[in-house]
Amino acid sequence: MIQKHFTIKNAQGLHMRPATNFATAMSHFPCSVTIRFNGKEVNAKSPMLIMAACIKGGSEIDLVCDGAREEDAINAASSMIENGFGE
Amino acid sequence: MRITDLLKKEGIRIGASPADKSEAIEMLIGLHEKCGSLNDTAVYREGILAREALGTTAIGMEIAIPHAKSEAVKAPALTAMTAPAGVDYGSPDGDPCKLLFMIAATTDGDVHMEVLARMMQLLMDTDFTEKLKNAKSPEEFLALIDAKETEKFPEEAAAAPAPKKEGYRVLAVTACPTGIAHTYMAAEALAKAGEKLGVPIKVETNGSGGAKNVLTAEDIANCDGIIIAADKSVDTARFDGKPVWSTKVADGIHKPEELIGRILNGEAPVFKADKKAEVTASVGNESFGRRLYKHLMNGVSHMLPFVVAGGIFIAIAFLIDAAKGVPMDGNFGSVTPVAAWFKAMGGYAFNFMLPILAGFIAMSIADRPGLLVGVVGGFLASNGATFADPGAVSTIPSGFLGALLAGFLAGWLLKLFEKLCDKLPRALEGLKPVLIYPLAGLGMVAVMMCAVNPIMGVINNALSSGLLWLNEHNLGVVLGCILGAMMSIDMGGPLNKAAYVFGTGMLASATTESYQVMASVMIGGMVPPLAIALSTIFFRNRWTADERKNGVVNIVMGLSFITEGAIPYAAAYPLKVIPSCALGSAVAGGLSWLFNCTLMAPHGGIFVVPTIGKPLLYLLALAAGAVVGMLMLALLKRPIKNED
Repeated sequence: MIQKHFTIKNAQGLHMRPATNFATAMSHFPCSVTIRFNGKEVNAKSPMLIMAACIKGGSEIDLVCDGAREEDAINAASSMIENGFGE
Repeated sequence: MRITDLLKKEGIRIGASPADKSEAIEMLIGLHEKCGSLNDTAVYREGILAREALGTTAIGMEIAIPHAKSEAVKAPALTAMTAPAGVDYGSPDGDPCKLLFMIAATTDGDVHMEVLARMMQLLMDTDFTEKLKNAKSPEEFLALIDAKETEKFPEEAAAAPAPKKEGYRVLAVTACPTGIAHTYMAAEALAKAGEKLGVPIKVETNGSGGAKNVLTAEDIANCDGIIIAADKSVDTARFDGKPVWSTKVADGIHKPEELIGRILNGEAPVFKADKKAEVTASVGNESFGRRLYKHLMNGVSHMLPFVVAGGIFIAIAFLIDAAKGVPMDGNFGSVTPVAAWFKAMGGYAFNFMLPILAGFIAMSIADRPGLLVGVVGGFLASNGATFADPGAVSTIPSGFLGALLAGFLAGWLLKLFEKLCDKLPRALEGLKPVLIYPLAGLGMVAVMMCAVNPIMGVINNALSSGLLWLNEHNLGVVLGCILGAMMSIDMGGPLNKAAYVFGTGMLASATTESYQVMASVMIGGMVPPLAIALSTIFFRNRWTADERKNGVVNIVMGLSFITEGAIPYAAAYPLKVIPSCALGSAVAGGLSWLFNCTLMAPHGGIFVVPTIGKPLLYLLALAAGAVVGMLMLALLKRPIKNED
């Protein structure tokens, strides 16, 4: 299991498009991907659950990957979050 | 922010069958348009399509949520649609979409994210989404969401009814001089803004029919603050100790949300009503000119019913005598017994014109003690008593100019006197309003008016002879033009009222010229709404859909001589609308004079046309003015598509 801390960089936060893209990207990995935000755990492979979490710009989150290719998953997630989901 | 705050019954369409994605989008945009959430449909549509171009907004589970943040959105809103047969929305799971929501978000704030998050939390429940898809009516759809939201966020449901128990957070009083249009427009705008901001608000209207929806002592005790949007005096003593924000009635119409915000943010100063001096201090942020206008309007608005009713009675008397074919000499209007009765009764109402005008001006300045000095001053102005001739047997009345002076000067003098009386022993406090103020006030105003009357009489005479001179030299047309233009330049503002007070004041002198003045004045006030109405009909591309819709109402407004109908347009495009209307009114006023049209009634618009001398030419002048105004407007205001 790997855990990493992030700050959401893009101003709009995880609204529909980044949430969808992020969930789609995470779905390619066999490991589980979970966002810990605001005391809750969110399955990062579901765009709906990500959106429901209402993660705004500037929010602090922890990303937890557990299982096969967890390193690849966290690296992919890291680059998406760090470049502000391309916004 | 609850979903049910954003989604209205009118914004839900059940059982739609769009052929494809773009038709589905059009339907949802149409719902937003119907709910009035958009400023500019085209711009919003661009936003929606741009977002779809980046990737579909279908989220699986047969749901799509197209959305756009846009300048074209007035206030955050939501529309929804069920499509039982499904529509291909390019969903990631490949299924057609049967449940569609469209978010219209403003560019500021996080409402967009919050709505989205909240919707997702509700829509994760597939039982719930199935129920939504099968809803039979918008009401059922909305009830399902409301129930689900209450279940999911119980803490809010408990909190929501609480403000109602506490009563209204914000109160407002609206009033305008005539009390016909603005008072109610401002009230409606404030109520709507309150609803939109989720702030319980109660608005009292001080219109021509008296105060409606009156604020109770309990309302006032429980509220956060009071907005006064008024161009005339309103009763403020009851607001003692509460935050009060005073402003023009126009702000109530155009900036209702800003006003409510000022109360909620605690920007309004706390109002003190226990001492007269402090009352003025609290309205001290109003300019001198504005206060002057407010006092004048308080007089004019109270005088108006007397003028209108009396004037129409007199007009009826003339109409009856005219029908009987009575010769048009000095007795015209009181020859037939019925006509004589109407003329006498109308005349009695007219007798109160000047006392009421001066009385309420003075009352606006010096509160209740001002009433006596103003009424007596106005009466002295109308009979023209002097020191040498106190019985006013053979005097020249100083007329409406004298009454204006009486109202203002007496009001101010009395106010000064009230201040001086603050130094008197407290034991005399109770005697002040019942004995000291009235006695001193009567003495002051009697001396003042007996001194002023001879002077004002001279000025009034000069004005009348000036008019005669203009007329004899065929220059009356110029006066007609000037009066017409004055009526429409500020549409209900000081210039308009100055011309109007002049016109109605002239009626008292009962000469042909004075009736011509009144005819020019009224036509000048009728042109602006008509010119705008015509423009919205014949130059459709100059106006937005909303503006065109209201254009029709302006026909009625114009024909009824309610110039105020043009104000929303004049406020939106002042540099285009006002010169156009002024030109149209000037043309109409000049033509009316040129045609020798006469008007004996001071109000009534199209309804008093039968009493007008040369009614057909009057209507021709009116039409000409409206058409000129319309053409000028077409020249100045380019089609909006070119402006974008």
